[in-house]
Amino acid sequence: MKPSWKLVSRRRALAVPALVGLGIVVAGCAEDAPQDTWQPEGDNARDIQNLQWPVFAIAGAVLLIVIAAVGWSVFRYRDKGQPIPKQSHGRPSLEIGLTILPALILIGVAVPTLRTVMALAETDDTECVVNITGQQWWWEIEYPTQAGCGGITEPIITSGQLVIPTEMNVLMRGTSRDVIHSFWVPRINGKRDVVPGRIQTLRLEADRPGIYAGQCAEFCGLSHANMRMEIVALSPEDFEAWKADQLADYVSPEAGTQAADGEDVFLQQCARCHQVNGLIDDKNTPDPADDTPSIAHPEDQVYAGAAPNLTHLMSRNTFAGATWDLVTQQCRDTIWNASPEEFGALYLQGVTEECFNPVDLREWIRNAPEKKPMFADQTDLGPTGGLYRGMPALGLSEDQIDDVIAYLLELN
Amino acid sequence: MIPTGSRLLLGATLLATIAAIAYGISDGGSLGTTGLISAALALALLTAVNIITRDADVSSMDPSAPTESPAARPAPPASIWPIVGGLGGVLVVIGLVSYPVVFVFGLIALLAAIIEWMIEAWSERASADNRYNSGIRQRLAHPAEFPVLAALTAAVIIYSFSRIMLFLSKTGGPAAFGVLAALVLAAGFVIAFRPQVRNATVSAVAGIAVIGLVAGGVAAALAGERDIEPHHTMGDIAAEGHCDTAEEVEADERASQNVAAKANIHGEIVLHEDGTLVARSIGIAGESTSITITRSNATNIRFRNEAEEDRRLVLNLGERAAVDEETEATIPDETVPIQYCTALVEDGGSQLLTFSIPDSSTITGTAYSFTVPGVDGQAVEVVVP
Repeated sequence: MKPSWKLVSRRRALAVPALVGLGIVVAGCAEDAPQDTWQPEGDNARDIQNLQWPVFAIAGAVLLIVIAAVGWSVFRYRDKGQPIPKQSHGRPSLEIGLTILPALILIGVAVPTLRTVMALAETDDTECVVNITGQQWWWEIEYPTQAGCGGITEPIITSGQLVIPTEMNVLMRGTSRDVIHSFWVPRINGKRDVVPGRIQTLRLEADRPGIYAGQCAEFCGLSHANMRMEIVALSPEDFEAWKADQLADYVSPEAGTQAADGEDVFLQQCARCHQVNGLIDDKNTPDPADDTPSIAHPEDQVYAGAAPNLTHLMSRNTFAGATWDLVTQQCRDTIWNASPEEFGALYLQGVTEECFNPVDLREWIRNAPEKKPMFADQTDLGPTGGLYRGMPALGLSEDQIDDVIAYLLELN
Repeated sequence: MIPTGSRLLLGATLLATIAAIAYGISDGGSLGTTGLISAALALALLTAVNIITRDADVSSMDPSAPTESPAARPAPPASIWPIVGGLGGVLVVIGLVSYPVVFVFGLIALLAAIIEWMIEAWSERASADNRYNSGIRQRLAHPAEFPVLAALTAAVIIYSFSRIMLFLSKTGGPAAFGVLAALVLAAGFVIAFRPQVRNATVSAVAGIAVIGLVAGGVAAALAGERDIEPHHTMGDIAAEGHCDTAEEVEADERASQNVAAKANIHGEIVLHEDGTLVARSIGIAGESTSITITRSNATNIRFRNEAEEDRRLVLNLGERAAVDEETEATIPDETVPIQYCTALVEDGGSQLLTFSIPDSSTITGTAYSFTVPGVDGQAVEVVVP
């Protein structure tokens, strides 16, 4: 006997929510979920989790009670052809009870919520200050001179990867150069919007060495999805070593090498926007003996007024808003899966020749807008007054690209 | 049977015909004859129309018509919209050859008249009851009419207020409107505590007040605004090289401030009573003699003066080549300082300084600093990575 159409359509109707629900449940089982808010790796993220578990439990219990009550009412009083019962209006005791009960639940939720919010807003006990500036579509990270962070005598500037010492309360001071962005590394702390003209603060603390992935959490334009960031936590000793690396003097490539040719191309094409601290512009000055530093002026080219500082680029292992890796997949997996004891040494190696991933960097230099959408219409710069959002296509030859890559590999 | 009115016209037609014949025979004049024939023809036409329409006397054909025919319904009240439409049309035409604002007002009046007239015409056909028809018109039109009328009234009142305030002197304005506010308050008290005051009285007082306000606004608009002295901005002080002076230079201390600037600051530069100059940064505990500013980013710094004398804060960003104002050419071997500064800040006062620094101090090797003219030996280093 064939099933009736009514029965088939009812089964289909049930199958859709069942499949969606199954998908959601299965998605929650993912092991490799670097942006999982339920796996805190620091005190601040743990505070949030300690708050959201009971709130989630209370909200879940309320949801189940309401669904059960509605379901029971629907089933118990379903239409069986019975006469409509006597209608009544108002029952003060029930109404007052149903007002007081949710109010008490909300008060119960509000107390720990406020306590957590206020604890997370505390800045007095932080021991290290990092300035973060968001712009379309990458993060600039700057360590001001300070007694904190173990002492920083000269400012350090980098991008994409925020390096912090473990077990130290770090204060992030965030702002934006163009539109509102949101700094969010779920395993370390909650979201913090960064707004042009404002300084927003966020506490950061990581229990153990490792890399923690993050993502801009406020829609900020065409490449919002490609605006990522990573927090790299190093042991205090490794953090000292990292600082020393970052403040190391610039070493010019050996004359006659491909990297030296790449430095020339860099000075002509890239140095208009990208700063490399210590790079001397002796190619474009009348007096070759002149030690004039190469000074980038991204504000003349880019809408945000900034481009990533590429000093010690190869000490990071991502680029272009932490969206692509400078290391191969194998090396990436090794670093990401390294034990806390091994992680620091691996990270401090930077991008070695064995681990270097030339593919994405080459594609990026060849035609950045093709790899990362930055302008809806590359030919129409009217809305930004002739300035680019992000990196334009430079039109370099393949030989020039090879030279530039050879040069960048030396920025370690 | 020929109706009474038609009989009269028929007689007049015959009389005119006979008179034309008689006049033509006796006098022989063509002009009089032509006139009388024309009158006879016109009267004949009217006679024919009257006979066809039975003297427009429906009761002669339908005895119940005086009470039940459509013509027996009371006429709807007179409408203002035809004349508004006409006025709008005239304004549109005048506006086309005079001022665009006249055209716009005419167009608005014309469109309003068309829409209102359509609604009115539609509602008048809704039923035989004028009160019911009026009710449905109001139900449809009032939700749009009242807000528009309220907005127009508010606009007229606000505009009148603004004209009066711009006409009065800087000190006279607050005094006049202080008195006015007191009168409004007093009137409010009277109405609140004397509920027996008749609505008509309240309406009359309010009406007179509005008319007085509008009349005052028109008079003030015709008289023109008071002389408003233009203020220099803090940017002007820097451009004119007054940053290094400790004397007062007239400037609008709020010229560079806006809501965004007031909303948040990057840090504070404080001149203490003992003459020390220190920096405080958001989120960083304690005071420092250096402050780190993000490159190429709009930054707000608040200067707080705790010293006894009026002081201004100066941001020193090195020097640039001097430029000849006439030729716009660079003057060799001559430089001018690059500075931003606040206006003078009184003891206990504070002021914001908004700026953006395009070049890194660490890379260019240029020493950037905050200083206070008249306070020697004190500076806050500005580090721009």
